[in-house]
Parts: sequence; C-alpha cells; structure tokens
Amino acid sequence: MRVQFLATDNWYDLRDLSNLSSAILDGLDKIAPQGVVYVAAALIGFVAAFLIFVLPSQLFVGVLGERKLIGRIQSRYGPNRVGPYGVLQPIADALKLLTKESLTPVAADRLVMYMAPVLFVMPAVLMWAVIPFGPNMIFADIPVALVYFLAISSLPVLASFMAGWSHNNKYSLFGAMRIVAMAISYEIPLVLSLLGVVVLTETLSLQEMVFWQDRFDIWLFAVQPLAMIIYFIAVSAELNRTPTDIAEAESEIVAGYLTEYSGMKWGLFYGMDIGYALGAAAFGVTVFFGGWTLFGLEEWVPAWMIFVVKVWAFYFLFIWTRGTLPRLRIDQLMSFAWKYMLPLALFNLLIICTERILWTDAFDGDKPFIYLFAIANIIFAGLLILGWARLLGYRPERTQTRPRMVQEAGGYVPVAPARGEGR
Amino acid sequence: MTSPIKSEPFVINIGPQHPSTHGVFRMKVTVDGEQVVDAEMVIGYLHRSMEKLAEERTYTQNIPFTDRTDYLSSMSNNLGYCLAVEKLAGIDVPERGQAIRVIMAELQRIASHFMALGAFTNDTGAWQTPVMWCLREREKVLDLFEMTSGARLTCNYMRIGGVAFDIPKDFEPATRKLIKTLPGFIDELEGLLSGNEIFLARTKNVAVIPPDLAVNASLAGPMLRGSGIAWDLRKADPYCGYEKYDFAIPIGYQGDSYDRFIVRVEELRQSVKIIEQALDGLPGGPHSTQVPLALRPPKGEAYARVEGPRGELGYYVVSDEGPSPYRFHIRPPSLINLSVLKEMTVGGSVADAIVALGSVDIVVGEIDR
Amino acid sequence: MTREWSGEELAAAAERLVPGSVARITSNACYLKPETLVQTFTALRDDAETDFKYLANLCGSDYWDRFEVVYHIHSFDKNQIGLFKCETAERDEPVLPSVVPVWHGAWIQENETYDMFGIRFEGHPNLVRMLLWDGFPGWPLRKDWLSMPGGLQPGLNEFTGVARRQEPPVRRYEE
Repeated sequence: MRVQFLATDNWYDLRDLSNLSSAILDGLDKIAPQGVVYVAAALIGFVAAFLIFVLPSQLFVGVLGERKLIGRIQSRYGPNRVGPYGVLQPIADALKLLTKESLTPVAADRLVMYMAPVLFVMPAVLMWAVIPFGPNMIFADIPVALVYFLAISSLPVLASFMAGWSHNNKYSLFGAMRIVAMAISYEIPLVLSLLGVVVLTETLSLQEMVFWQDRFDIWLFAVQPLAMIIYFIAVSAELNRTPTDIAEAESEIVAGYLTEYSGMKWGLFYGMDIGYALGAAAFGVTVFFGGWTLFGLEEWVPAWMIFVVKVWAFYFLFIWTRGTLPRLRIDQLMSFAWKYMLPLALFNLLIICTERILWTDAFDGDKPFIYLFAIANIIFAGLLILGWARLLGYRPERTQTRPRMVQEAGGYVPVAPARGEGR
Repeated sequence: MTSPIKSEPFVINIGPQHPSTHGVFRMKVTVDGEQVVDAEMVIGYLHRSMEKLAEERTYTQNIPFTDRTDYLSSMSNNLGYCLAVEKLAGIDVPERGQAIRVIMAELQRIASHFMALGAFTNDTGAWQTPVMWCLREREKVLDLFEMTSGARLTCNYMRIGGVAFDIPKDFEPATRKLIKTLPGFIDELEGLLSGNEIFLARTKNVAVIPPDLAVNASLAGPMLRGSGIAWDLRKADPYCGYEKYDFAIPIGYQGDSYDRFIVRVEELRQSVKIIEQALDGLPGGPHSTQVPLALRPPKGEAYARVEGPRGELGYYVVSDEGPSPYRFHIRPPSLINLSVLKEMTVGGSVADAIVALGSVDIVVGEIDR
Repeated sequence: MTREWSGEELAAAAERLVPGSVARITSNACYLKPETLVQTFTALRDDAETDFKYLANLCGSDYWDRFEVVYHIHSFDKNQIGLFKCETAERDEPVLPSVVPVWHGAWIQENETYDMFGIRFEGHPNLVRMLLWDGFPGWPLRKDWLSMPGGLQPGLNEFTGVARRQEPPVRRYEE
C-alpha cells in the first residue's frame, strides 16, 4: 500500500473508523469471556456498514433523493411537504407502511408469502459485508469477495419469484416469470464483464482491486470501458430498474410480483430494491471507479466519505436512466441480452486476455503500458458497440421520424418505394 | 422424442381499473404464454344515456351534454352539435364567430393531442416524463380556455349561431405568446421520443392496420391517416371557413403505432399554423347570430361532422318541430376506431396490446355516452 | 366540399345496380328494401361511380309504428356522401339484415343499435348488448320506454317531453 495516511491510530481519529472498532474490540477482549468478542465484531460490523452508512443513504438518497430528482426531470417538484424540502418524507413513508394493514388474499400461499420479503432483505444486508469503505474498513476481507457478491446478488431473484408465485394472481405470475427469465439472461454478461476485470487485476478480492487501481493510478473504468457499460446495463436489469423494469411494469401488469403486497411487506421490497441498487452501485464503484481512493485525496479527506459520495454519484446514473427512458418489451430484452451483450462481453474478455498476456510477457508489467491499453480499449469499445449493432441490422438512417404531408384530401396515398425498407 | 410442453391459454382482464386503460374500459385478453390469442372489449361502464336525455331538453340545453361525451375535446364536440342544428335550422354564423370557432377548435386539438401523446408514451413505459411535459404545455392551453369560457375542461362555449361570449382582451396576446413557444416544445418532445431507440422498438410494427381494413372498418382521424389515407374533414368538407387557411395533412407510412404517434405530433404543428392565421385574420363584427330561446327547427334531419382530435365526430339530429330533438345520435370516433381491436392485438404480446390501445386514443366518455 | 346526393340520385344509382331495391324516395334519403339490402350495399361499395367505400354512421330511430336504420355512407376519392335508410316492417320484433359483410365498421354500430332499440340484425357475427348488460329490461331508446321502475316519469315536469308522454300518439313521420 503506497499511501501514507495522516490518520493516526488513536481511537478518536474518525478518518479511519477501524480505529474506533478495534479499540472497542480490544477493550471487550480484556473484560469479556472468550468468544464474545466475535459476536461483538459481527454486531459492530453490522452497525457500521449497514446502519450508519447504508440505511440513511437508502432512505435519504434512495427514497427522497430519487423522487425529487425524478420530479425535477419531469419538471415538477418532488415531495416537499413533509419537513423542509421534504426531508422527513422517508420517515413518514416508513411510519405509514408500518401502520398499514398487510392484506393477504385468501387463496394465497401464506407461508411463502411471509417468507419472500425476509428472503429478499437478507441478501441486501449480507452483501455489504465485503464492500471496502476504506483501507481497514471492510467487515470481511475474504479473498473471494467478488464471487461472494455475485452469489448473494442472485438470491433476490428467488425471493421475487416466490413472491409472484404465492399471490395466486395472474398478474403476479406474469411478473414472476418475467423476472426469472430476465435475471437469468442478464447474469451471464454481468459475470463475463467482471471476469475481464479479474483477469487484469489477478485477484478476486475487492480490497485488492482497489489497491491495484491505487497502485497504477488509473481507474478500471478507463482501462475497460466496455466492461463497465455492460456491467451497468446488466446490473440495472438485475435490479429491475427502468428501462428494464418489466417485472414491475406499472402500466401493464399493475406492479407485477408486488401486486398483492401492502404494508410493510411491500415496504421491505421497495426499500430493499433501493438497497440493492446502492449495493450494486457500491460494487461498481469499488471495481471500476477506484473504490475509496481518489488519486491521493484520501490522505486528507476520510476514505469512507469519498466512497459514499462516489456511490451516490453512481446511483444518480440509475436515477437518470429511470427518469428518461421508456421500457423495453420482454422479448426485446431477451434478444438484447443474448444477441448483443453476450457477444460483446466475450469480445471484451478476448481483448483483455490478449492485452494481459502482452503486458506480462512483452512489457514486464510496466505501468505506462496500462495507459496505452486504456486508450486502445476505449477505441475498441466504441468500434465494437457500433459495429456489432450494425451487424445485427441497426440502420438508424432508414427510420422516418416525420410523416408525409399532403395538401389535398383524397384516398389512399401509397408509400413511395424508393425509400428502402424501414427498420 | 419428448412431447411438446402443454400450455393452455388463460384470460386476463385488463381493466376496468388499470393505470393505463384510458378510463373505465375493459379488455378481456386471452393469452397463451405471452402471446395474445384473442381480445374482446367490454364497455358500458360510463353509459349515461345521453341520447335519451337529450330528447327531453331543448337544443341549447343539450350543448353541455356534448361537452361531457368526449371530455378531452369539448370544444370540438360543441362545434359539431352546433353545426348539425344550424344545418337543420338554416342558421348562418357570422365571420367573427366562425374564426373564433376555428381558433377554439384548434386549441382544443392541441390540448387533446398533448394528453393523447402523454398517455401513449406512458403506456410504453417512459416513467411519466413525457406525460408531465405534455401536461405542462396543456395547462397553458387550458388557461386560455378558462380565460374565455370560464371552464378548463367542459367549456360549453359554442352556441347555436356562434359562440357564447366574445373573446376577452387578454386572449390574443396570451395566445400569441403560446404559439410562439409551442413549436420549440414540440421539437423538444420529438427529440426526446421520435428518434429514441427504445421507443422505436416498442412502437414500430406494433398494431399495423393496412389501408383497406382501415377504410372498411370505418376508422377515422389519426388512425386513418396513419395508414396512409389522406382524409381530413377540414380539407374535404370544410366547415367554419377552414378553406381559407393554409395547412397540410400529415399521413403515415404503414399504419403502425409509431405512424400514428408522428401524425399526432405533426398535427400539433399544423394546428399552431392555423391558429396563427386565424388570429391574424380575425374579423370584427358580431360573434353570434340571435336565435330564439326555444329554437324550433323545421322538420327534417341533419348529419354534420367535424374533424375532432380523435376522428370524424358526427351528430345526427332529427327534428319534429318541437323544442327538443326527436332523435339525437352521436357518432363516436373512439368507439368505431375500436372496430379493429382484435386485428391490432392478436399475434402480439400483452405489452403490445397495451401500446395498441394507447395508440387508438380512446376516451371512454365518448364510447359510452 | 362533399357533395351530398339527393334522394332521387341515390335511388337512380341503386336501381341501376340492383333493380327493385328501392322502397321509397324522400328528398334527401333513399329507403331500401330489406331483402336486397346487403346486395345493394355491396354493389354500391364496389361500383366505380358511387364508390361508397366508407360507412360513416349507422344508427336507428323510432317513429312510433316502425323503426328506421339510417346509413350514412361516403366515398373518399369522389368526396360524396349519401343517406340510405331501411325500415322495419313491424314494431314488436324488428329484424333487419346486417351489413357487416359489406363494411366491418358496422359491427359495433349494429351492436349498439340492437342494444338501444332491440332491432335484431340477421347475419351479424356476434350480436350482443354493448353498452348495457344482458338482462337489461327493455330497449331504452324506444319512445315508449320509461326508464325508472314504478312508473316514475323521467325528467322534470317543466321540460318539453311531458306532452309526449301522456299517451303515445301514433305519429306518422312523413314528408
């Protein structure tokens, strides 16, 4: 690790929160019986990672910030009644959901219906265990953090399907089927894009990836732009966010797998939807955008502050696409995943592996060549995206966006054939 | 060799309460997997027996009824009814009245098309952003209506023989300000949606209506023009002095939802052009002719039609020299445009059925009357 | 401007295409016989001179002793409109042939006419009550139908319809 931190080892130095936690744990080790310190460590990790960082982000950035931003995109204010500028809105929402009656349809499967939200929340909390907030601030620095994360993020699909199935409602069944089909299709490009990153950084641990980016002074986003784009699209599909939120397509199947949920069960689904989005944002930031480093700024500004701001910035991208783009149909989504994203991810892997071999064998792992590879990769990314699209039949110049104009009323005016076929 | 997977079609009820059927409209869709096998509509949730009630009221008292059939285009409805009664009774409308009628009808077309475009893009899933933008512009038009007639939605402004009141002094500057900013907004809307890949993928080749079917099924309005048939009552059968104004009719290429969308967007531009010409040439004089309070037209029948935002809105009025009509029938464009519902939706998926319904642009008040 | 054909012109065209199809002529409409209705309309639709390809309006009227169904049909290319009518022979069980084979747009409008008046259209693929439900008592737009049970008169007394409701005067609607 190259950076010398100004943070000292005093327990009150909050620039490195691990000081505080290790001070508490050392104290406990002295006074408590054997083994209690492990439980305490788990609790501290939960409190620190989830309750202090994640839950407020979820509430204030996820619920309130998203609604206000989307409102602004739609030329209206977001919530601004509850508290000044609406800051108490998430709390009001949570209170309302807690006091609402949780209806269960008579014909629904009660056990599965109660279990589904629990199964949905659990991975959202577990996922924050491996995200590094700072150099020593990671709850479980396991060497296979990436695989752990990918495994955990497949669990919500099961929970959503359980939810949709248990309602005994045709709309919910629709939503459940759509989710499963879509999640399976988009897992593969997601994993392949991350595989490229693994090949380059030679490690599966998230903390090591951050250190790699620190060591070479370049973000992996610049070295592998195509992987980052594929990751973004695939993870929005996994999270059921527009433009891929067909599972919860409000205008078609009236909330899909969430139709019969009300009260806090629905609140858990909704909140954890945002929680997963933040988790995916945190993961993307760690892998592609440098995690808690910012080219040396982390000497003065606390690393966890940099990290949280970056997560919010990445989450802003999610909000932006949600507010702007219409929704795709299920078969279009499937064909997009299998015919477009999967080949692109494979090409990306091919290019990365070639570059890696070149780098270690020909250039002996020197640093400047990474920058060369970055420029080459950006060019390749652009070429691949446009070229593969044209190969699949994308011809934007043939779409007529203006109608034909006639001056006289009459009968049928046949289309002039010289224009060529439409899209 | 494994046997094929057995699947059976099941019936989904889309509506009557649904975030995206435009009103209380119910569509029973038989679905096999994700593909639609059959579609059937069930209407009548908003039936208010206007045709029977109109036989009890005088001709002028029926004008508010016509407001409430197609509540999104009340000025056009009023206009159609007044034209029918004027044809029956042989009443002439002064020039100023005609010009004001044209301005109001075109403003109403703009307001109605904004609502239709917003609702249509909402159906495709654009998370209410185009709806909010369109409704923001529509509010400006509704402000103009409130200034003139006192009401935003059900204006009750036309009278037999002209219009109810003359336009106020503030109307012309406000309208000129509006038509200066409106083309910029229409360009912005087009830039957001017409070239958007996802929007194109959702609406291109969805719910195609070939031109022969369009004529045979008595479709009207943007549905007819989207299929390539150049028919607009303002050009073919001009009323209220439309022959004086210079505008063009947009027609589509193949009759899919995208064509109807771009036809509606282009009609917005043409309406702005007409309003500008009408304002420039607004004559002086009286705004309506005097008709007796209990009008008793001579015996006979008349069928008059206007080009409403949804198509050919026709009124068939039969008089027996009494103070109220003997028979009052509204030819609803939305209902007859739904003749092709089955042809549009069968073969596509459920999402396509929703988009197809959105492109028909129905208003249930007109379907059920 | 759309040219409105007068009754005589319409009758001449109908007689030319299908002789013996005209029942009677008025100044602006032509009454057709129910037996040859579909044949006449098909001929009118396909003929090059009349070219009545578009059914603009189909509705019914009640004239106390008979029902009438009016058809407004017009042509796009020639820009002309014509009004045809067809009367039913009786009042209690009115039956008319359906023109759905000629124009698909007649489907919904005939359903609505059946719903409101009770005129059955023979040959209609799926004649159901569109706006009201299946067990609705009576046919609302008939002149002798009182909407509320218990014999209440709809409308206020000072409105114009009271005079008509005291007893059904048999009016002949003639030119």
